Amino acid sequence: MKNFLLACLLTGSAFTLFTPVAFAQQSGMPIPGQEPVLTSICMTCHGAYGQGNPVVGGPRLAGMQAWYLKNQLESFRNGWRGMEKDYLPAYEMRETASALTETDINQLMVMLEAWDAEPAPDTITGDVSKGAELYQQCVACHGADAMGNELLAAPALAGQNDWYLLSQLKLFKSGYRGSHPEDIFGLRMQVVLPLLNNEQDMQDVLAYINSID
Amino acid sequence: MTEKVTRREILNLIGAAGGSAAVLGASAALGLMPNSAAASIPQLKPLDPANRKSVAILGAGISGLTAAYELSKAGYDCIVLEASHRPGGRNMTVRSGDIIDEVGNRQVCEFDDEPHMYFNAGPARLPSTHRNILHYCKELGVELEVFINESKEAYVQDDNMFGGKPIKNAMFTTNARGFMAEVLAKNFTRQELDQPFTEWEAERILGMVRSFGDLNSANEFRGSSRAGYADIDGGYLAHGIQKEMVSFRELLKSSYVNRLLNANEGETGPILFQPVGGMDKIITGFVKTMPERVYYNAIVTAVELGDDSVNIAYRYKGMENSIKADYCLNCIPTHLMSGITHNFPRDYTDAMLYVRRGEAYKSAFQAKERFWEKEDIYGGISWVNQPIRQIWYPPHGMFKEKGVILSSYDFGGGMHFTRLSQEERIEAAISQGEKVHADYRKYVEKGITIAWNRMNHMLGCAARWQRGAVMTSDEEKLMHTLRSPAANRHYFIGDQVTLHAGWQESAIVSALWSVNDLHNRAIGNSAGINPAPLV
Ligand SMILES: Cc1cc2nc3c(=O)[nH]c(=O)nc-3n(C[C@H](O)[C@H](O)[C@H](O)COP(=O)(O)OP(=O)(O)OC[C@H]3O[C@@H](n4cnc5c(N)ncnc54)[C@H](O)[C@@H]3O)c2cc1C
Ligand code: HEC
Ligand code: HEC
Repeated sequence: MKNFLLACLLTGSAFTLFTPVAFAQQSGMPIPGQEPVLTSICMTCHGAYGQGNPVVGGPRLAGMQAWYLKNQLESFRNGWRGMEKDYLPAYEMRETASALTETDINQLMVMLEAWDAEPAPDTITGDVSKGAELYQQCVACHGADAMGNELLAAPALAGQNDWYLLSQLKLFKSGYRGSHPEDIFGLRMQVVLPLLNNEQDMQDVLAYINSID
Repeated sequence: MTEKVTRREILNLIGAAGGSAAVLGASAALGLMPNSAAASIPQLKPLDPANRKSVAILGAGISGLTAAYELSKAGYDCIVLEASHRPGGRNMTVRSGDIIDEVGNRQVCEFDDEPHMYFNAGPARLPSTHRNILHYCKELGVELEVFINESKEAYVQDDNMFGGKPIKNAMFTTNARGFMAEVLAKNFTRQELDQPFTEWEAERILGMVRSFGDLNSANEFRGSSRAGYADIDGGYLAHGIQKEMVSFRELLKSSYVNRLLNANEGETGPILFQPVGGMDKIITGFVKTMPERVYYNAIVTAVELGDDSVNIAYRYKGMENSIKADYCLNCIPTHLMSGITHNFPRDYTDAMLYVRRGEAYKSAFQAKERFWEKEDIYGGISWVNQPIRQIWYPPHGMFKEKGVILSSYDFGGGMHFTRLSQEERIEAAISQGEKVHADYRKYVEKGITIAWNRMNHMLGCAARWQRGAVMTSDEEKLMHTLRSPAANRHYFIGDQVTLHAGWQESAIVSALWSVNDLHNRAIGNSAGINPAPLV
């Protein structure tokens, strides 16, 4: 939201000296598509503008495809994700998702579209050329530009927090994600798991994804 | 290799060189005697009205409120932006009708609406040595009463000991001390100690050991009335029947042998205080002096350091607002700040990424009857070797019909309960409590649980800087980075940037340090009082 701050400074609507009275009378900008309670809950873990919070472990939501957000919230609600109590981040997310109503989810999908989406900063390095080779096996579903494919329910990987993608690959590999018999979308990831033999492979492929966004 | 010098020897050396004043100062440094430094409340020279300065304070934790209070007194324009519907942060007292804003598990407290029916879900104890917070209690007119941490009549329960039957704390400690004293007395010979003692000194030491363990004249422990009498009327009109000694081997089966005798030492030793009516009376005390300055449901979303100001964006009443201030004091937990847009310098960001969320969990019940009073308990803690760990009996509201009882307290490994559903948490607290009080279930109702790791706008407790057993100097440097002002105008405050997280005193000390530094800069001592103290 730097843009917003900047806008205020340029238009002079921010002021140097404030008093509580002036503060109370201050007028701001309406938040687009905002439903305060909902966003305030997601924000605590996913960042103020949905940009992700690496310390809490909530990935970037801004920029996520709305259909994918819905799929994942349902996956949590169905108990396909986040059932393992020894992996607390997903467990916590499942608790939150379970408390959402259909209306909440629909509102969230609308809200998501209104959020600014800047690509997440890169934090992972690896062998990009090895990664490029590995990524050939991902193209069919996630696309050559890693922007995802709605028809196959495969999300964009470009722009997402790389530390998060790494944790998800590990979860797929260890069976914590994408192994429930009813989780048909999650199960699609099974085909590539034999390719990702260790963390280094995962880092390489993510380094490649970083290089294309 | 040179021989280790004892502390006593060092003292003698310094004393010889510098006279007795030198000895006093040095002994404080070595930790032998308490340092008599006065409470560090700043006496800020009020700002020149022609040179007004504004300060945005992020978070109405006790550190933020302390800063707002002191700076307002010195003539600063202060504003406090608080994300929650309530002030206080972790200083939280739960009463009838209060909302517990746990993510995914919102609760409303249904305790009876009476002044003594409250639960301190965060801090509950104020050590008598925490001078700064006691200073504010005095200044703000917050009435204090003594908090009772130990009751010899409360219980120790461990499934590994006496087949899980609870025993009175007095039974445990008296027998443990008796055993220790007897061992000590039997082995006490002058040769074994590094310092030769005179006959008279040696006798004094033996006397000390005997009284410590209540040994008989043959230096043996044969039980003690300190553990109470077997018959309740004992010792008044007729001779009391002394309780049987317990087998020390049996006590050894419980890990409490390693951790019960220190439960009432140091910071949790006597005397402790609590505000009458709930810990948040301190918070209300602060807010009352400046109600117009504190904004609730005002969620900070961006902090931008500029050349001559700090810009802050926040959500308030469905609007995205911004505010510009000369300085910013920030007690938002660093792990949440990591999800807030900012342009902090790289070293600041790295330090923020290093800190881990702390853990803590507490739960409480309304008791329909103060059943513990029938067991001679009027406060203190029962220790339970179960996930609930502790049961606290309220030291206030004595002889009233009902009371609020703390039914579990896991500080530091609080994730067991955090993982459970509300129903599971309540059932676990009851069934584990039954190990101590057989008819517990009959008395307790309206349970509430507070998993600090899940509380909205908090998601944790005392910040964890340490990855290993001790804090490394690199870790200390990272903390130091966050404590020092960024761009000369943004300060992290709170217990999170102190070496002693988990106490309100630390949060206050941190706020006072930053306030002092900020003021120095504001009045033109451009360097402030930096560098921020490392220790
Ligand atoms: C279970 C438990 C037991 C404890 N026992 C004791 C005790 O017996 N004695 C004792 O002295 N201390 C105790 N403590 C420690 C004490 O509670 C803390 O040290 C102290 O309250 C910390 O205050 P603070 O100002 O540093 O921060 P906090 O209280 O953590 O305040 C941070 C504030 O920032 C706000 N915030 C978060 N995000 C945003 C945002 N985006 N925008 C605006 N505001 C935001 C939060 O809502 C909160 O109000 C205990 C703590 C716990 C949890
Ligand atoms: C208590 C913290 C917390 C809260 C509150 C929270 N989340 Fe999450 N969320 C997480 C964590 C942690 C993960 C990552 C789980 C993992 O590592 O498997 C996650 C994952 C997700 C995912 C899956 C993303 C992906 O690409 O796989 C979605 C979607 C999501 N959250 C949406 C939301 C929404 C919408 C809200 C608000 C209604 C919300 N979350 C509130 C912590 C939280
Ligand atoms: C057969 C199709 C398919 C292939 C091939 C495939 N994926 Fe996926 N992937 C998916 C689907 C579908 C999902 C969403 C699963 C869900 O809904 O839980 C997914 C999810 C993911 C996620 C989790 C993203 C998030 O935000 O939660 C990662 C990471 C990922 N894939 C990486 C890869 C990589 C790396 C490869 C190649 C080595 C790959 N995928 C190959 C179909 C595929």
